Amino acid sequence: MHTYLPFLVAGLASGSVYAIAAMGLVITYKTSGVFNFAHGAVGMAATFVFYSLRADAGLPTWLAAAVAVLAVGPAIGLVIDRLLLRRLEGAPSSTYVVVSLGLLIAVQSLFLVLYGAAPRRVEPFLPQSTFHLPGVNVGWDQVVLVAVAAVSGVGLALFFRTRFGTLTRAVVDDRPLSELARVNTGAVTSASWVIGCAFAALSGILLSPILGLDAIRLTLLVLYSFGAAAVGRLVSLPLTYAGALGIGVGAQLLTKFVVGRPSLAGLPSSLPFIVLFAVLVFSPKGKFLELTRTDGRSSGSGGVGAGRFPVRLLLVLAGVAAVLPGRLSSGRLLTATAVAAFVLVFSSLGLLVGMSRQVSLCHVVFVALGATTLARLLDAGVPYLLALLLAGLVMVPVGALVAIPAIRLSGLFLALATFGFGVLAQDLLYPTRAVFGGKAILTIHRPVIFGVSLAGDRGFFVFVAVLALAGVVAVEAVRVTRLGRLLRGLADSPTAMQSLGVNPVVPRVLVFCFTGFLAAVAGGLLGTLTLSVNAQTFDFFQSLVWVAALVTAGSLSLGGAVLAAVLLVWVPAVFDSPVVAQWQPIAFGVAAIFLSQARNGLVGFLRRPDFGALARRHEWRLGSVRLRERLDAHALAVEVRDGTA
Amino acid sequence: MALLELRGLCSGYGRTEVVRGVDLNVPEAATVVMLGANGAGKTTLLKTIAGLLPVTAGTIRFQGSPIERLGAHGRARRGVCLIPEGRGIFRRLTVRENLLVQADPGGLRAAIDRAAALFPILRDRLDQPAGTLSGGQQQMLALARAFVTGAPLILSDELSMGLAPVVVDDIFEALAALRREGRSLLLVEQYVERAVAVADYVYILGKGEVVFAGEPAECTSGAVFARYLEGAA
Repeated sequence: MHTYLPFLVAGLASGSVYAIAAMGLVITYKTSGVFNFAHGAVGMAATFVFYSLRADAGLPTWLAAAVAVLAVGPAIGLVIDRLLLRRLEGAPSSTYVVVSLGLLIAVQSLFLVLYGAAPRRVEPFLPQSTFHLPGVNVGWDQVVLVAVAAVSGVGLALFFRTRFGTLTRAVVDDRPLSELARVNTGAVTSASWVIGCAFAALSGILLSPILGLDAIRLTLLVLYSFGAAAVGRLVSLPLTYAGALGIGVGAQLLTKFVVGRPSLAGLPSSLPFIVLFAVLVFSPKGKFLELTRTDGRSSGSGGVGAGRFPVRLLLVLAGVAAVLPGRLSSGRLLTATAVAAFVLVFSSLGLLVGMSRQVSLCHVVFVALGATTLARLLDAGVPYLLALLLAGLVMVPVGALVAIPAIRLSGLFLALATFGFGVLAQDLLYPTRAVFGGKAILTIHRPVIFGVSLAGDRGFFVFVAVLALAGVVAVEAVRVTRLGRLLRGLADSPTAMQSLGVNPVVPRVLVFCFTGFLAAVAGGLLGTLTLSVNAQTFDFFQSLVWVAALVTAGSLSLGGAVLAAVLLVWVPAVFDSPVVAQWQPIAFGVAAIFLSQARNGLVGFLRRPDFGALARRHEWRLGSVRLRERLDAHALAVEVRDGTA
Repeated sequence: MALLELRGLCSGYGRTEVVRGVDLNVPEAATVVMLGANGAGKTTLLKTIAGLLPVTAGTIRFQGSPIERLGAHGRARRGVCLIPEGRGIFRRLTVRENLLVQADPGGLRAAIDRAAALFPILRDRLDQPAGTLSGGQQQMLALARAFVTGAPLILSDELSMGLAPVVVDDIFEALAALRREGRSLLLVEQYVERAVAVADYVYILGKGEVVFAGEPAECTSGAVFARYLEGAA
């Protein structure tokens, strides 16, 4: 027993920090209905400010911490609430997911640019001395962490017993009615963001001496509170606190357990995500209430060109693909090949994020496992085309597995579950020999198919382009057939679809299996393009960037998938500058925030304008009768031309 | 000067205009009843007055000053009290907490006394989640807000809908009590005859416009109801 005591103490201390972060997360969610994926990024940003004030500006530690926790964190919270979220009022939950993901990506990438990726040491500010209890030495810093968390928890609990606490619950219960009852609901929501972000800042600062100042790890470690928050079903503060302590202790005990088992080294740090995934997947149905205030206003899905097969665009793409090999240098052609493969990635992702409005955050896992499966099968002597097909098929059951939370849970919780699944795959699956092999890197040779060698860049480009086109045609076919209509219907109203006798399980499982297949094939092609794959090629963060890129470009149509692939792959290759590469994720994050409510991202703006709507808008804005007459005449001319008049 | 004056009020949902240029007065200490077929724009008009929907054109003056730029809670603080369609209560909060939200800060005890004086049953249910009350009790709790806040203008939207006749009597009695306190009421009611019987003034809305405005005696004639139906067509 005594051998476990130090781990228990350390676990309570780290669990306490998780608890602070998790309680902040829960406060914001339960009072504003918005789950803040950027919670960790907020804490990270405040911690960097704390570091700069303390180490660079020379402020005393207590003052730097006070500024970061009481001013910086709350200020970020206010900005998020007032500038980013207020205008989303009533949007579907997937919109909120995308906005807070965009924020996470933008903030984390921005601090990587500003401070560099190299972690900096943070001088400890808590007492380093220890005292002795029977069987264990306890650090005073650990005592401080536990005490701070306990005081914060009790403080929050008391705070929510006041009139303000009742008002926040009233606002969550019925926002318009709260307004009628004289409650300034905007102020209540802002207050919840201020408190939540202050807690994020506090947890980040407390973690910094342990972790060092590292934009990625700080962001992710506060994200570990997701698991604890899930234990509290995202609403219960006491359960969240208990869950955080449990996860802290459990992770420390696992640390002891995995000593000498290198393949399990990722287990302790993935425990929060195991808890997250397990709680979401295995909780009784209906235990997770989505608090996002959706008013059923349909934004995006089902709107533009929903049921049309993009023949012209496909022909253009085929034409471009036919012309490119003769026009581009070898290096550019490699980029074009990657673009083609990414069109397939984004096209399949669009079926989920756009059409079905199910934000899946583990797409990179399909891509990575597709590449590694292909490599393994090729090593075993399977012919290339068959191996590629099998690599895709292997992902079908994985897609079905991921579909389980999609069936049981609505928008936000699916995003959370796939987030957990993605991190788990990266931390637990990737390090094992089964995935990337003993050397943690797999090589893939370009194949010879039907006697034609694809070792050359031109031949391989044509091969990838043909497969990508075939995949894209399949995706577009799904859009216009019954499956596509069912998925769009389910995105709009699952209840209405069920009342029509549609079983929502079948289309959702099918679409996940199908996208898994396509993503794996695309992964195989990407692996063949780069000739080798390792775990870094498919970092989990990519999944988030992909979603942001797709939302930026337009998630509802093939044009969006093409534009996303060009923006993600072609643009940095053409500019070939580290500045572009560094700022790219920031741009995607920011763009996703502001385009989350657009009809169809950037490509949505390319549509022919709605003259009738323009006329009506100008009618009252300008009061110009003449303009209206001219537009009416124009509309009439169009009708005459089209023969509809 | 009327307590509430609407001039050329327009509003709707997105591009769909539902209320088109409504002129309406609610005098001090008066009961005004608004009638109209389904889809005539009655609920939209009440929500617009209360600030839940934006005004696209026209003005709303309350106690002489324009309020159309205020948010819903701002108008509620000035004394415009809308009891919305359906059950205007916080279902997941207890009765006591509902009254706490309705009351002025620090005024919970007074609010409970006031509500219980009208609807004694509420005192027995203080710690029960409001969503578990019966329909009539829920409506009493919703109506209690009008008493607790002391707002001079009460807008009520189909208060009696779906309630047993005996409960409807209680509701109308409560409305009469508000009226006796000198408050003004703007009622939307399905029980046309009962509503007209207590009205000082009647408006009929059709397709978002006022098709009749006059004394209750005038509107009971056949001609007026014909226009009412015309508005519905």
